[in-house]
Amino acid sequence: MHPLVRWFHQLGSPPYFDRFAARWAPVSYVLALVVMAYGLWAALFQVPADYQQGDSFRILYIHVPSAWMSLFVFGLMAFYAAIALIWRIKLCEILAMACAAPGAAFTLITLATGSIWGKPMWGTWWDWDPRLTTELILLFLYFGVIGLYNAIEDRRAAARAAGLLAIVGVALLPVIRYSVVWWNSLHQGQTISLMGGSKMDDSMLPPLFAMIVATKLWFIGSLLARARADNLRREAGKDWVLRLSQGTPSQGRQSKDTLTQVKDRAP
Amino acid sequence: MMRQAAMALVVRDIRLLWRRRGDALQPALFALLVVVLFALALGGEARALERVAAPVLWVAVLLAGLLALDTLFRGDAEDGSLEQWMLAPVPLSWLVLVRTFMHWATTALPLLVATPLLGELLHLPRAQLPVLLASLALGTPLLSLLGAVVAALTVGMRRSGILVALLALPLYVPVLVFGAGAVALAAQGQDALAPLLYLGAGLVLALVLAPLAAAAAIRIALS
Amino acid sequence: MSYQNYVIAAYAVFFVVLAWDFVAPRIGIARELRAAKLRAARKQARTAPDGSNELSRQTAE
Repeated sequence: MHPLVRWFHQLGSPPYFDRFAARWAPVSYVLALVVMAYGLWAALFQVPADYQQGDSFRILYIHVPSAWMSLFVFGLMAFYAAIALIWRIKLCEILAMACAAPGAAFTLITLATGSIWGKPMWGTWWDWDPRLTTELILLFLYFGVIGLYNAIEDRRAAARAAGLLAIVGVALLPVIRYSVVWWNSLHQGQTISLMGGSKMDDSMLPPLFAMIVATKLWFIGSLLARARADNLRREAGKDWVLRLSQGTPSQGRQSKDTLTQVKDRAP
Repeated sequence: MMRQAAMALVVRDIRLLWRRRGDALQPALFALLVVVLFALALGGEARALERVAAPVLWVAVLLAGLLALDTLFRGDAEDGSLEQWMLAPVPLSWLVLVRTFMHWATTALPLLVATPLLGELLHLPRAQLPVLLASLALGTPLLSLLGAVVAALTVGMRRSGILVALLALPLYVPVLVFGAGAVALAAQGQDALAPLLYLGAGLVLALVLAPLAAAAAIRIALS
Repeated sequence: MSYQNYVIAAYAVFFVVLAWDFVAPRIGIARELRAAKLRAARKQARTAPDGSNELSRQTAE
């Protein structure tokens, strides 16, 4: 069996996934922090102030990556949910539900930083601008998924129901966005652009790329950590969890799974 | 086979409704209450009310529909009929569609009939009434279908009240936007055809897709 | 106009939310492992007294 395929199947085993996540989540977090350190330093101190917006445009380096992550994570959540619903893969149920909280976190950051940026720019903390309005509705969709997942007792049925909601949400999100844009043109006249008219100078781009990479790495770390927690909760009665909790080392790379054992024993 | 099943469901629902005739009026009463509250909060002056009459009516109908959603599957879930539906030889989505239609006919149609009266209470300009009724006629079935998906996701939950609202409202936003927007265009004297067509298109899509999603949700909830 | 306060506020929100996002799953994992440890201890305590292999009414938790 191709090693990659075998690794993919092994991930479906709860104890294997626990070891995998326990090992790689910190790595991801650390990498994220390193890249974020460069990105934030460059955003705050290296890039020159925008001639129109002054220093406030530095908020962009947090606002834009968070906004993209909020949308990307929602799509990823629906993707995992679709796999979980079609193929009944437990790991994908776990991963789908683990996406919800970080996604909501990024959405919250987007809304808050957008609002804080808006105050000096538009003079108001909130504006029913299509993007902010759609982002707010996205936050409600995230809360709905989280709420539904927590409301049902059986974890597998809960994950599938919340996953179905995520899929419906992803299908409707473009519709919602379009309807809000239409509504905005009807009532508010021209959309106020957060960037004003200024185009981004090349010197302003590197910190943005860094922050985009950093937020992705952070999300991977968060996803693995939360998936690990959910995995432990679902498997609560099993022996391997009991052994793990008693401090028997998670056996990391020393233990061999059945597949590798058989392979090793074969002549 | 499918027609027989549909007729059986329709007859049953009408019979059940007839035995509890009063229940059919509850959504309309709720909408009336919402209208009264808005009128009181806004000061009751005709000029202030007529500007917001149509949007307030839209919100009142939407909220009334949201509350009525609870009765869509609850009765059938509690007495085991839902499980019988899953075992029936006709597609579950077909039964869901028929049930949703009957639910709309018994909860939203009375609202539509009551709308001109409620409009009078809010001094709705006469010219806006046709577009308002058209937008509600297209929008309420759409709300029922989207609501059916949410109701199916939460079927069997005992205390799901606020959760249903939280799940349904983001899905309701486009319907509200196009519905109220249509009347806003009419109020400005412009042609309201575009948003009504969007509602129509959404309705057609929802007629096909929503029952499928709701059926999948029922299967998940009762698995 | 000094934008400094706004920039500080925005970055502060970023850090606070990410900090919560980091801490929450760690608390969850710790709680699950602690519950499992207690469960294991209870199981030990139950099977220790008679030590026999006979079928009992106690179900493994």
